[in-house]
Amino acid sequence: MSTTTVGAGAGIGTSPLRPDGTLKVTGEFAFSSDLWADRMLWGATLRSPHPRARIVGIDLTGAVATTGVHAVLTAEDVPGKKLYGLEHADQPVLAMGQVRYAGEPVAIVAADHPETARRAAAAIVVEYEVLPPITDPVAAIDAEETVHDRGNLLRHVPIRKGSLEATAPVVVTGEYEVGMQDQAFLGPESGLAIPAEDGGVDLFIATQWLHGDLGQVADCLGLPPSKVRLSLAGVGGAFGGREDVSMQVHACMLALHTGRPVKMVYSREESFHGHVHRHPARMWYEHGADLDGRLVYVKARIVLDGGAYASTSMAVVANATTLGVGPYKVPNVVVDGYAVYTNNPPCGAMRGFGAVQACFAYESQMDKLAAALGLDPVDVRVRNALEPGDTMPTGQVVHGPAPVADLLDRVRAAAPPAQRGDDLRELPGGVANTTHGEGVRRGVGYGIGIKNVGFSEGFDDYSTARVRLEVVGGEPAAVVHTAAAEVGQGLVTIQAQIVRTELGVEQVTVATADTTVGSAGSSSASRQTYVTGGAVKAACEAVRAAVLRRAGRDDVTLRGGRLVTEGGEVVADLVDVLGDRPIEETVEWRHKPTHPLDPRTGQGDAHVQYAFAAHRATVDVDVELGLVRVVEIATAQDVGRALHPQSVRGQIAGGTAQGLGLAVMEEIQVVDGLIRNPSFTDYLIPTILDVPPMRIDVLELGDPSAPYGLRGVGEPPTISSTPAIVAAIRAATGLALNRVPVRPEHLTGT
Amino acid sequence: MKPFAYQRAEAADSAVATISRTGAAYLAGGTNIVDLMKLGVTAPDLLIDVTGLPLRDIEALPDGGMRVGALTANSDLATDPVLRTRFPAVALALLSGASAQLRNRATIGGNLLQRTRCRYFVDVTKSCNKRRPGAGCAAREGEHTDLAILGASEQCVATNPSDLAVALALVDARVELLTEGGPASMSVHEFFRLPGDRPERDTNLPPGALITAVVLPATPIARMSTYRKVRDRSSFAFAAGSVAAALDVRDGVVQDVRLAYGAVAHRPWRAYAAERSLRGAPATVDNFERAADEELAAAKPLRDNGYKVPLIRNLTVGVLRGMTEASW
Ligand SMILES: Cc1cc2nc3c(=O)[nH]c(=O)nc-3n(C[C@H](O)[C@H](O)[C@H](O)COP(=O)(O)OP(=O)(O)OC[C@H]3O[C@@H](n4cnc5c(N)ncnc54)[C@H](O)[C@@H]3O)c2cc1C
Repeated sequence: MSTTTVGAGAGIGTSPLRPDGTLKVTGEFAFSSDLWADRMLWGATLRSPHPRARIVGIDLTGAVATTGVHAVLTAEDVPGKKLYGLEHADQPVLAMGQVRYAGEPVAIVAADHPETARRAAAAIVVEYEVLPPITDPVAAIDAEETVHDRGNLLRHVPIRKGSLEATAPVVVTGEYEVGMQDQAFLGPESGLAIPAEDGGVDLFIATQWLHGDLGQVADCLGLPPSKVRLSLAGVGGAFGGREDVSMQVHACMLALHTGRPVKMVYSREESFHGHVHRHPARMWYEHGADLDGRLVYVKARIVLDGGAYASTSMAVVANATTLGVGPYKVPNVVVDGYAVYTNNPPCGAMRGFGAVQACFAYESQMDKLAAALGLDPVDVRVRNALEPGDTMPTGQVVHGPAPVADLLDRVRAAAPPAQRGDDLRELPGGVANTTHGEGVRRGVGYGIGIKNVGFSEGFDDYSTARVRLEVVGGEPAAVVHTAAAEVGQGLVTIQAQIVRTELGVEQVTVATADTTVGSAGSSSASRQTYVTGGAVKAACEAVRAAVLRRAGRDDVTLRGGRLVTEGGEVVADLVDVLGDRPIEETVEWRHKPTHPLDPRTGQGDAHVQYAFAAHRATVDVDVELGLVRVVEIATAQDVGRALHPQSVRGQIAGGTAQGLGLAVMEEIQVVDGLIRNPSFTDYLIPTILDVPPMRIDVLELGDPSAPYGLRGVGEPPTISSTPAIVAAIRAATGLALNRVPVRPEHLTGT
Repeated sequence: MKPFAYQRAEAADSAVATISRTGAAYLAGGTNIVDLMKLGVTAPDLLIDVTGLPLRDIEALPDGGMRVGALTANSDLATDPVLRTRFPAVALALLSGASAQLRNRATIGGNLLQRTRCRYFVDVTKSCNKRRPGAGCAAREGEHTDLAILGASEQCVATNPSDLAVALALVDARVELLTEGGPASMSVHEFFRLPGDRPERDTNLPPGALITAVVLPATPIARMSTYRKVRDRSSFAFAAGSVAAALDVRDGVVQDVRLAYGAVAHRPWRAYAAERSLRGAPATVDNFERAADEELAAAKPLRDNGYKVPLIRNLTVGVLRGMTEASW
């Protein structure tokens, strides 16, 4: 694994070229699926075809007898703990006596060729006693039949604020549904485990959280954490789908068992079964408002289908619930969120993490409220917009900028897109020549969302950074080392920019993320620039303090490789101060602590920081054919401070596109617990022809409690683009559309 | 994947002889059969690669027709200037299919023999009468939004996924074959079939036969033809429904018309009833609607695919209205 030197250039606030950018677009970047080691074996996984069954017997003979096979392992061979999980260890490394979802790993094989491994896995005979699957999450809550012994209710989060009996002159109600979305990252799960001489193992893996994996892998292998070393391999996208362990333990088991390196790469179909998805949601909402459209109360019930194992469902439901009324002032709130076990595919982290589902419901409700009162949908939102100093339904006070009304005003004021032209590419159906505009109607819709940044509810959320300053080839150079996962978001570049800014050196090398340095936490929850960025900044400050101590000065900054006074006088060269004695500091950095929610009332300062984005969507709908073309998106988001403005825009455009996918096409179709469309032919993600031009308005209002004032960027754009697009389709068609994704069959009717 | 042997065909007749004898399969572009082999849906012992055979010519026939070699790439045919004048619907249908990369690879013969996208057909753990006769049909009660509304049987509700086939049905194309008994030819209408109680058969192609060419007979009305496809995203997706149409309107009256529907049945669906209803009638939206309704009266939607009825109806009307306006 190599280290990365970020190209010449600049500190924070500029957009230097990403070191991985050119390699990725030219196809030269080494992803985890490109890993290779001498004498390497290939792993394969046998998965359950049934969503719920008892395992009566497993006959391995056929696999063991296959020429070229080196290991065939089942649950009995798991050396340590047999269960793992991010929040709650309930998921078997390999199925033990029963399977709870279709796709659950039952046995693993290592062979000298990937096809041999697959064939050997297929030669394993598992005798199942098939049971009827539990697939309806609402019915599952208090069903007699349970997926696990502990019952089907994973977590209930109640939020109570103000009066439970509040009434209002205007009441709107609605029932909403969100389908199961997939992260659809392009690089399938893959990794390479290499047995080490000390009896431990080195794992090269595409993941979001090296130390999260480390703890679970070491436990399951029965090894001390010091004997399990993880290094980040090239990650082909994540979006939450790599927060849970997939084949990490399997590859290590096979490597330790055979004494040879073992590589595993999932196929696309296997990938659909091999990672968690976005929770499908059923939501019931009631909004009460006065005659001016000011909210009096919100009551809601949110049911998230967690699938067969817990993953991060407990945190996802807390997000859906605590953010469940949106970025609005609501004096009286009764929200109940439930995460439920079923025999459906497990669900967990995906960009937006619970906030996505709730936003679709509460924004649909705000439009209903506007319609009920004959008000403009943006006016209703602005009238209720959260402001600094307001309290959330959890009682948490919103500190720092909360430009909810401003964001809405900005997208409303953006110039509207041009009227439809005659170019076929600009019509619904695009180049398919589907329409000549006869039944095409235009609609405009709005959405605004709120997201928490970072881990919540008292979780000890921190990151570790090690920064070394030394002289290399007569020049001052810095090395920054963290365990933070670059998953495509541009974190490597950001780390180098921070070091450049803080230490005033040109040459910055970002070491490969691995577990020889402390945890950085996960590349999720829009947190990594905040938390690892904060850690790198703090480590740089410690290094700078050491430089100043060594130089015996306290009145200088580091700039251009020199120690410079405020007045601009150069007092020393960094090279001379460092000499042949590098300075290295390692810092563990934490944001301000959060607190648990009261289990009865849901009150508590559970979140670190709130982030907001607003969208205006303009769509053309061919009402005769049920086709939607999103014509344009205008979006505004407060990012606090844009450390790399180009990446910020990339995150906003990409997140918006992912929200568009959820609005009009992306859904894992699960029937009786079985995924019906585990391929990119059948699971549709937007192509470039489906993604419209975007007007992106970036605000930098500065959060005084965050490093550089920054605000997490990655998730908010995904959250509000979905309801804005659906609102626009409703405006064009007059249809209720209470479910996403909206598909042609919902628009043409039957 | 099951192990298989691979051979390159030296000559068409020896390839036909081997395939007829062994039950092996032809390999053309491989964009469909290889996927199906990976999924275990099909498992030939031997693949005979025919891509080296000289079957790539696109001939413009003097009578106004065309003959297209079976191994012609979809993209090559789609961009042929003669085709675009004589048979625009065929060019549009080809261009609406798959992606640029796939069209470069996929052949005309392979396109006609691509298998249904029914999710139960491609999932070997599920019951499917097409894959395993007698096993039952999981799609009827399962996920079937994209499946047939016309001409289905108790045993099978699969649709033919080919866009090209719909345009070929419009122009009464013929398929030229080489069989063990020698050259033969059949109309696309005989070639494709409804599932009936033999859903395992997609077509009436004789066992072992090699498709050598597709002939587009001279069809003056086809110069005024088009193809429109509805799908869930702007490109790179199979049809939810499609219409191929050719229309000759003079003085506001339909002189002649042809209509074919895609993604509604086990075969491309020539809408003869709608054509009959329109011939000689004034070219009005009302008449277009009535014609579509007459055709779709036979539709028997399943639980979740009823949307295809209004979709095809509106598509028919939209296409015919557009063509009528263009002819003024
Ligand atoms: C992701 C994806 C999207 C697609 N989207 C569309 C779409 O939107 N519309 C559409 O119409 N199609 C679509 N296709 C299908 C594609 O058009 C077909 O896969 C392709 O046309 C098949 O041609 P081929 O040459 O690759 O056939 P092969 O895969 O090589 O062969 C297919 C079958 O035909 C047989 N065969 C091939 N040639 C001959 C011959 N000359 N004589 C006798 N038998 C023969 C083979 O034995 C095999 O059974 C899509 C395919 C993919 C993978």
